[in-house]
Amino acid sequence: MKGLIIKDVMCLKKQLMMFVYVLIGVLVISVMFVLSAKLGNLAAVGQDMVRSDSELSVTDVQNMAVEALVLFMLLPLAVVCDISHVFTADGKAGFYKISGAFPIPLYKRLLARYLTIFVFFGMGTLIDIVIAFVLSRLTDLITFREFLGIILSAASVMSIYSALMVFFCFVFGYGKESYAQIASLFSMAAAVILMNLRTIREIMTGVVDREQFSGWEILDFIKYKAWILILIAAFVSLLSYGASYLITERKRGVI
Amino acid sequence: MEDMEKTNSIKNVIEIENVTKDYGDFKLDHISFSVPEGSVCGFIGQNGAGKTTTINLLLDVIKKDTGSIRVFGKEVGADSAALREEIGVVFDEMGFHEFMTGRDINIMMKNIYKNWDETAFFDYLKRFSLPSKKKCGSFSRGMRMKLQIAAALSHHARLLVMDEPTSGLDPIVRNEMLDIFREFVVSEDHTIFLSSHITGDLEKIADEVVFINAGRIVLAGNKDELLEKHGILKCRKEDGEKVSDSLIVHRESGSYGTEMLVNDRYAAAKLYPDAVMEPATLEEIMLHYVSGKR
Repeated sequence: MKGLIIKDVMCLKKQLMMFVYVLIGVLVISVMFVLSAKLGNLAAVGQDMVRSDSELSVTDVQNMAVEALVLFMLLPLAVVCDISHVFTADGKAGFYKISGAFPIPLYKRLLARYLTIFVFFGMGTLIDIVIAFVLSRLTDLITFREFLGIILSAASVMSIYSALMVFFCFVFGYGKESYAQIASLFSMAAAVILMNLRTIREIMTGVVDREQFSGWEILDFIKYKAWILILIAAFVSLLSYGASYLITERKRGVI
Repeated sequence: MEDMEKTNSIKNVIEIENVTKDYGDFKLDHISFSVPEGSVCGFIGQNGAGKTTTINLLLDVIKKDTGSIRVFGKEVGADSAALREEIGVVFDEMGFHEFMTGRDINIMMKNIYKNWDETAFFDYLKRFSLPSKKKCGSFSRGMRMKLQIAAALSHHARLLVMDEPTSGLDPIVRNEMLDIFREFVVSEDHTIFLSSHITGDLEKIADEVVFINAGRIVLAGNKDELLEKHGILKCRKEDGEKVSDSLIVHRESGSYGTEMLVNDRYAAAKLYPDAVMEPATLEEIMLHYVSGKR
């Protein structure tokens, strides 16, 4: 099984390189951002925004800055979350033919694929946490605990996406990885809509005033309720593994 | 008596009994055959006859519908993963990623096979003149096949299963590969199961032949016996009409005469002394059986 993980990591070598470049870029930009928000032009812009007639409070401006910072921070994770390259490379090489003849049972061959995802996410998350720790020392905008919440939430959402994508890759077969990506995104969007159907209906029907809905609640949710997303990610990953096992067992020879 | 004892003591490495696999548009129909230990068994048939399906069933890559498949006396399916430690597999396509070098393959394989022999692998690469630091995507077809063979032989497999390993190769490389296979079976407990539609290669190397056509086993047995039994009978058209149907596998008539494959050339030669009798090649046997079934 270790051999298959090594092979998957080899397939993602280019992505790893890109991850390193993005990481360096993000580190430089985010440090410049927090320093500027504290001492430079961004701090001045924030003060002007509060002073002007735009009805923005100090919290609103701070939240906007945090959102921008979070977007930078999530870039390295976004780079590692797309493991469709492994399926593309395996399909192109016909690796599934020889892997079927390896002395590794199907459930382990499948597990290796999932472990690759978690190794990648683990690595991305860990490095992001280190950056967050450094940044939290430089700024008052956000605490390390809040950073941690955001990173873990994002890693959970992306691992849900990856787990769904692995499942859909097996459903659609090799060469149709883009369909799997689209299907995963649609499934996640559908799930979010279904879970928030009541709120959406209330906003649409005017029960809740649109002006009152700032969206900062979502930011608070990902900051402080990361454990919910972690649990959902674990559940979806298990479900995806089980369903993928059934598919690969029925189809045979696809992994 | 001694011969009988010897025959009884021969173990079958592969035993396939009444195996069926139905894909709807193609069916592997109750196939049965066995491969004795220490032999080279050629699995012949035209493209789409069911060779790859049979190999995939043997390796438990796909599941059979009915029947029984035993490898080294153990039923395939229960503990196939462990059985595959003993089997080296070579497919018609390389299967390794093009960005991989010999070294990368070694790193991967030593973490897959318990018996992986790093030294043996690099020795094979050297022997086959394969650079270990070069990406295998830049290898020629012959080099790719040799790389697969090196990998298949480096975990001390006792059975080598190969699906069309010589197709698309030039005669020199094909001969080189046949030499490697011969060397492998020098050891008594080593067996080769080799599928091919290039009958010339099998004539050179095979001890046993299994012939599959449209999902059914048409012929199976010792190659020399099959070649000895079958013959091409050539005669005038009107004389050809007199030949007993029980002897004829397939007949082809032209404007000048008739040519037919007979399943007992000595009996035919005795019954029809005026006809010309020639030994049949595996290719002729295959072609006549396929035409006869149509």
